[in-house]
Amino acid sequence: MRRLVGPLVACAVLAFAVSGCGDLSRGELSRGVESLGAIAAQGQLIANGVARDATKSTYTRVMAKTMGDEAEHEAEKLADAEPEEAVAPERHAAVLVAEEIADLYGQLQVFPGDERHGAAVEKHMEEAKAKADAIAERLTGEEQ
Amino acid sequence: MKGILKIALGIIAALGGFLDIGDLVFNTQAGALYRYDLLWAVALGTFGIAIYAEMCGRVAAVTQRPVFDVIRMRLGFGPGLVALIASTLVNLLTVAAELGGLAIILTLLFDAPFSLFVVLAAIGIVISVALLPFGGIERIFGYGGLMMLVFIAVAFHQGPDWGAVGKGFIPSFSGSPLYLYFVVGVFSAALMPYEVHFYSSGAIEEGWTTKSLKENRLNAAIGYALGGVLACALVVVSGYLFHPLGVEPNDLGTVALPAQGAFGETGLLLALGGMLFCVGGAAIDSSFSASYNLAQFLGWEWGRYRGPKKAPRFTVSWLVFLFLGVLIVLTGINPVDITEYSVVFAVVALPMTYLPILMIAGDRSFMGEHANGKVSATLGWLYFALIVVLAIVAIPLLLATNGGGG
Amino acid sequence: MTDEVLVAHRLLDEQIVDSDGHRCGRVDDIELTGSPPRITALLVGDGLYPRRLPKPFRRLARRISGPEVWGANALRIPWEEVDELGAAVKLRKKAEELGLGEGDNPDNWMVRRLPWN
Repeated sequence: MRRLVGPLVACAVLAFAVSGCGDLSRGELSRGVESLGAIAAQGQLIANGVARDATKSTYTRVMAKTMGDEAEHEAEKLADAEPEEAVAPERHAAVLVAEEIADLYGQLQVFPGDERHGAAVEKHMEEAKAKADAIAERLTGEEQ
Repeated sequence: MKGILKIALGIIAALGGFLDIGDLVFNTQAGALYRYDLLWAVALGTFGIAIYAEMCGRVAAVTQRPVFDVIRMRLGFGPGLVALIASTLVNLLTVAAELGGLAIILTLLFDAPFSLFVVLAAIGIVISVALLPFGGIERIFGYGGLMMLVFIAVAFHQGPDWGAVGKGFIPSFSGSPLYLYFVVGVFSAALMPYEVHFYSSGAIEEGWTTKSLKENRLNAAIGYALGGVLACALVVVSGYLFHPLGVEPNDLGTVALPAQGAFGETGLLLALGGMLFCVGGAAIDSSFSASYNLAQFLGWEWGRYRGPKKAPRFTVSWLVFLFLGVLIVLTGINPVDITEYSVVFAVVALPMTYLPILMIAGDRSFMGEHANGKVSATLGWLYFALIVVLAIVAIPLLLATNGGGG
Repeated sequence: MTDEVLVAHRLLDEQIVDSDGHRCGRVDDIELTGSPPRITALLVGDGLYPRRLPKPFRRLARRISGPEVWGANALRIPWEEVDELGAAVKLRKKAEELGLGEGDNPDNWMVRRLPWN
């Protein structure tokens, strides 16, 4: 039995290393940032409805909570993972954008019927999406 | 004249009741991810359910046998039991998904906690079924579902590149597991077995005979064809708005967003209202389908026309299925996830319930002159081959794509 | 001989309906006696299910459905009680007279306790 311990530990360490537990690769970060862009885009659409007074406030509030939670979850996921050194600055920027988006959704939740707020959130969501797209571009070196 | 009106009303109800939460989720996601490229799969699935439903309706009208009577008779007790267990599990997941979906839509319309709405939705269903006349329920939920026509209006309002839309109906293949997963999902969501089992039992409850065969064919052809158009509208609308933005519709509320964008609050309310009736009707259909299947397989008295006094075990099983559905939702699993599992497992179980019907439909000793002709038989068997292939790849694809998460 | 085999093939697992048209179980098994074998009775009841399953599942099924109790979860319907064969097996008598359909019987104590009764 004792003879197996060594190889078993080696396997465990290997599995741990191979799984990249906690390691955030360029590809994973890219996908996360794309998600953020999509979450912000949806925020734009929802906020636009509020700005035009062309929606129902219960709908806005519930959607804002759901989407805000998604942005928050994305922020935590990115913040918890250990980034590869090359992408560390992008990871930091992504977490900030995620928090910003979650914040904006929070505002929609509190003021689901306020048209001026809606217009402001729509504009900020557009800016947040642009930031996310810019980070994604830096990561892949392609046009988003 | 009265006959034509009756048939027309039946078709309209079929149209309104065509969509359920599986269609809402999978078609919207398919449009967002692949724009119009999966329209061919929607069409294929729609055609499939029309064929399956017509056969089940014909078998019921001519032989007076609903689906699980045919299954027990044709497969025997052992294999039939496997089909029953698989079917029941899928139906249970479906009931849970529809109840969860109902609760989500209710929270989007009214301000109250989700769990409360889950329980209220189930109670509402029991009350509706208890108080409304049997034929009335299908009509009411069917007509309410007509509000989903707003999506066709949204599609025209958006003014997509119709050429590109048309190209979407030409099958295209990609090696991408995620694409293939959505082919399976979109097809299966259109061909959910519970709808057909419910249709078959309903035919017997309504006292269909060989005289009703024309009505059966029209229901299948026109009702489901129009329903398919609605399903395609979901894909187009989502593809136009969400695909360029990269939006990933993981929530039911997102389905209604294009309607809000195009027609403001009115559009949003029509979309949510339509979704409410579609999903509500589906909750009723799937829960009854589960009870019909169980009662028919075991030989119990069954039928809504018989009533709770004459068919107590059938009624109790229906209430139990609703209750279990509520419990599943209350465990906290996202209803959208439950929906994905129910749709994927449905296609896995589909061959078991499809084959016996196909065999009986082609058997002259049962069907006489109404047995499958060469065209029906060919189509029927082609679809069976297709369904078997999809059933085999469904779960591997589910695992490979991490539940459509990519 | 062929007719009897065909009938058994079409008879097994069929829905049973009583003289009033009430559904009251399925043909879960068939009793054949004599040589050449003739059908002497229909056997109905969930006590008979384990027999119908492949060997590996029988013990588990027996645990679930309980032992075969003739008169309770296993009933013998003599062949003479069969009136006609169609989409279902129609009997000459009512279900209660033969002990069938107990689960749906309005006089059954469990059925009486249901909220709508």
